[in-house]
Amino acid sequence: MVELNSNELTDAEAEQYDRQIRLWGLDSQKRLRSSRVLIIGLKGLGAEVAKNITLAGVKSVTLLDDGAASQDDICSQFLVPRDQIGKNRAEASLARTQNLNPMVNVTAETCAVADHPDEYFHAFEAICATKCPTDQLLRLDKICREKSIKFFCGDVFGFFGFMFADLQTHEFAEEITEFKPTATEEPAAKRLKAEPVKTTVKRSSTFVPLQNALDVDWTAEPYSKKLKKSESSYFLMKILLKFRSENMRDPSPGTRSADMEELNRLKNEVLTKMSIPLEKVPDNLLSMVFAEIGPVCAIVGGVLSQEIIKALSQHEAPHNNMFFFNPERNLGHVECLGA
Amino acid sequence: MAASIAGVFTDDLKNAVETSKVLVVGAGGIGCEILKNLVLSGFKDIEIIDLDTIDVSNLNRQFLFQKQHVGKSKAVVARESALSFNPDVKIVANHDSIIKPDYSVNYFKQFRMVLNALDNRAARNHVNRMCLAADIPLIESGTAGYDGQVELIKKGMTKCYECEPKAAQKTFPGCTIRNTPSEPIHCIVWGKHLFNQLFGEYDADNDVSPDTEDPEAAGAAGESALKTKANEQGDIERVTTRQWAQQSGYDSAKLFHKLFHDDIKYLLSMHNLWEKRRKPTPLKMNELPDAVAGSSKDNSAEGLKDQRPWSIVECGQIFSRSLQSLKTKFEDLQSKNKDDHLVWDKDDKDAMDFVAACANIRAYIFGIPQKTRFDIKSMAGNIIPAIATTNAIIAGLVVLNAFNILQNRLESCHSVYCRLRPNHRGQLIVPERGLNPPNEKCYVCRDSPQIAVSVDVNKLTVKELEERVLKSLLNMVQPDAVKDSTGDVVISSEEGEMEGTYHKSLAEMGILDGTVLSVDDFVQNYSLQVIINHREAEHNKPDIEIVGDQSKCQPKAEEEKSNGGSGDNAEEEDDLMLLDEVEETPSAKAERKRKQDSAEESPVSKKLRTSDVIVL
Ligand SMILES: [Zn+2]
Repeated sequence: MVELNSNELTDAEAEQYDRQIRLWGLDSQKRLRSSRVLIIGLKGLGAEVAKNITLAGVKSVTLLDDGAASQDDICSQFLVPRDQIGKNRAEASLARTQNLNPMVNVTAETCAVADHPDEYFHAFEAICATKCPTDQLLRLDKICREKSIKFFCGDVFGFFGFMFADLQTHEFAEEITEFKPTATEEPAAKRLKAEPVKTTVKRSSTFVPLQNALDVDWTAEPYSKKLKKSESSYFLMKILLKFRSENMRDPSPGTRSADMEELNRLKNEVLTKMSIPLEKVPDNLLSMVFAEIGPVCAIVGGVLSQEIIKALSQHEAPHNNMFFFNPERNLGHVECLGA
Repeated sequence: MAASIAGVFTDDLKNAVETSKVLVVGAGGIGCEILKNLVLSGFKDIEIIDLDTIDVSNLNRQFLFQKQHVGKSKAVVARESALSFNPDVKIVANHDSIIKPDYSVNYFKQFRMVLNALDNRAARNHVNRMCLAADIPLIESGTAGYDGQVELIKKGMTKCYECEPKAAQKTFPGCTIRNTPSEPIHCIVWGKHLFNQLFGEYDADNDVSPDTEDPEAAGAAGESALKTKANEQGDIERVTTRQWAQQSGYDSAKLFHKLFHDDIKYLLSMHNLWEKRRKPTPLKMNELPDAVAGSSKDNSAEGLKDQRPWSIVECGQIFSRSLQSLKTKFEDLQSKNKDDHLVWDKDDKDAMDFVAACANIRAYIFGIPQKTRFDIKSMAGNIIPAIATTNAIIAGLVVLNAFNILQNRLESCHSVYCRLRPNHRGQLIVPERGLNPPNEKCYVCRDSPQIAVSVDVNKLTVKELEERVLKSLLNMVQPDAVKDSTGDVVISSEEGEMEGTYHKSLAEMGILDGTVLSVDDFVQNYSLQVIINHREAEHNKPDIEIVGDQSKCQPKAEEEKSNGGSGDNAEEEDDLMLLDEVEETPSAKAERKRKQDSAEESPVSKKLRTSDVIVL
């Protein structure tokens, strides 16, 4: 974890970050400015995270993507200029990301995650992986655990999205508000007034590896009890990750009907294997997972980025350990899975 | 763009996105994010309006702007940046105020919907009325720090923005500010009043000198104090602070002595005030303490420049220095136009320094803890913290609800809230379970609305009725008012038509207790019956008060579990919902003259139950 940097903020930083320093405090901002963040996958969600994290004022942002920007990316990838479609996504996103905040050191990396040795990832305080196959996610989480690097992953599929965090053992300061009675000084009004008093407390939170969260057994307690009430998001995520592993890509609008069939087949396979009734994932949800919808990237990317900021600044309680956005009701919920 | 790629949206949504014209009001934190989402989704016809210019403190979240854009129009730059995402979109940018009559009901009618991304209540109220009049859906949104919310407003279907009374502006009794401050904020408000007394728009309500009519000081003590003063100065005639300052040539030593010594001595002579209070200590400029009293700062070496506490000596120096710079600026303005004046702005270094120094000196005198310039700026400027992530989340939800509207699924546009911490059900982004029906007693959206207003008909003038009641309090733009019983015109929006009667009191115009006025605002296409209740003006009580609907507007919360004991002490942190993405810029001030001290730009507070239903 980042030690407080003794270097003070410059006047330019103080001016530019004024409105957020007033929210999370100077110490948080100092921790952010000494943090190096790796963002893997520069499609819609990755672009949102890159934007938010760069704006927040970290020390450096590394954009990693080995793919080429495609026509489908323009649904949500606003960092790639139109004339750069076909070029490497990370490189094509570099200039606009840098323009968001010249005080952050932004670089691009075009080599695939799988081709990087473990050591490559040691140079970051936080890693956020999107559009990554599950085997690489598990590998990254393992590397992060060994080196106490904060690990995040997430994805948006159409209108649906989710994120996961493994902060291992995470210490943070939390601001709590208590209402304490105080006598007012006005003689006219001697009644007691309860006034909010803000105090900061130190807390810690323990996270589990990604593997645990992905391997939840819904037929055993405590999950079997929750199954009835729980909504479809976790299971939809399992189906979509399976689709990605088997097809080496995500469902695509260009092959919509074939992909719908494949999704239905995978739904049967995944849910049956987990002993989950098929109606847990309604068919209409499967029709909402194509491309990455911009507003949904903004929502999931906003939550994911805020979790990265919270973790790096050690300010406020992190969400332990998953967040899902269900497009049917515009509902975003946090669930602790695999603990 | 999503709509242009087959297989992303349903055909219905694709067609609607590509053919619908939408208006975005505000190009700030939420506005920038909304514009991005609209363009990426494939909207082709967008209009955006904002009268603000770009400030450095916007750049941590308003991502369509960069350093080289500081000082330029937000709407214009937002348009340019968004066009780079898709050059084929038609975006019209207006660097303008939406409150202007040019943006008529017919103007609003050309849009499929309006997306609000505003930072102040006056503009929100106005757009609310325009969308009601034009009968088009409005998506209202706001953020404050980690909190945010989105709601649909549709005539006859949902609550309008003004259906529930909003939390009143925080104001302080004049005698607390002038005589007996007990909290830092009282000293800060006093400092801002002093600024206006010296350099700003004159306002008799914002006097800074000792208040001899303080009921607490009444009786012999007050009178003897008055006599002492008369003897000392040999002249009982009271002059305004501005006149006094001008006569003394804005001499900082003289002003300091009057404000922080003589006036304090005078207050001390009002003995009743100090029977149960700590007495204030008059200060002399050449004997200022070097200490930083009342604050226990051990980390003074660290932190931002603005977070370093000032000693009282320093405050004195900063007082003198900023006073002289402000004097120069003020005289410069006045030499060009005798009626011109300065407008207090937290981002103006001298204006901010002056208020911070004055507030701290006064706090020291009254034994109140001093604050850093950083904290005083927050309080004096009503700064609401703002971050990119919350704005992004809220703007995402705005555009998802826009999709619902385009698919004629208004009933699915439930209000959504977003908070720092999940609720007890683990929900972080929380949709309500249904739409909130209109308040039947709303004085804006119901049929033939009425409202009662308490005023002193012998004191309030017709001009004040127009400016302070109809425009400021009831948020009208160009009101016409006639007496219901006789049809006599009281206020006319025609320039100059009523000049002869402007200074007359309501009573002189035959407007008495119980008189009903029919008020029409042509711009807002809004009619309201105003029932005048006479109430004699009292010292230190507001002279104008909205009584509400005659049958007393009761928020429909009976069926909801009350908020545990309720009152102002029972609300949990999560129950306080803040609505605005607040920009508190000087241009917003120019748009509508407002009082300086009250939290006019402060966010609308809505108390939420721990579940999803709004209870006010
Ligand atoms: Zn209403």
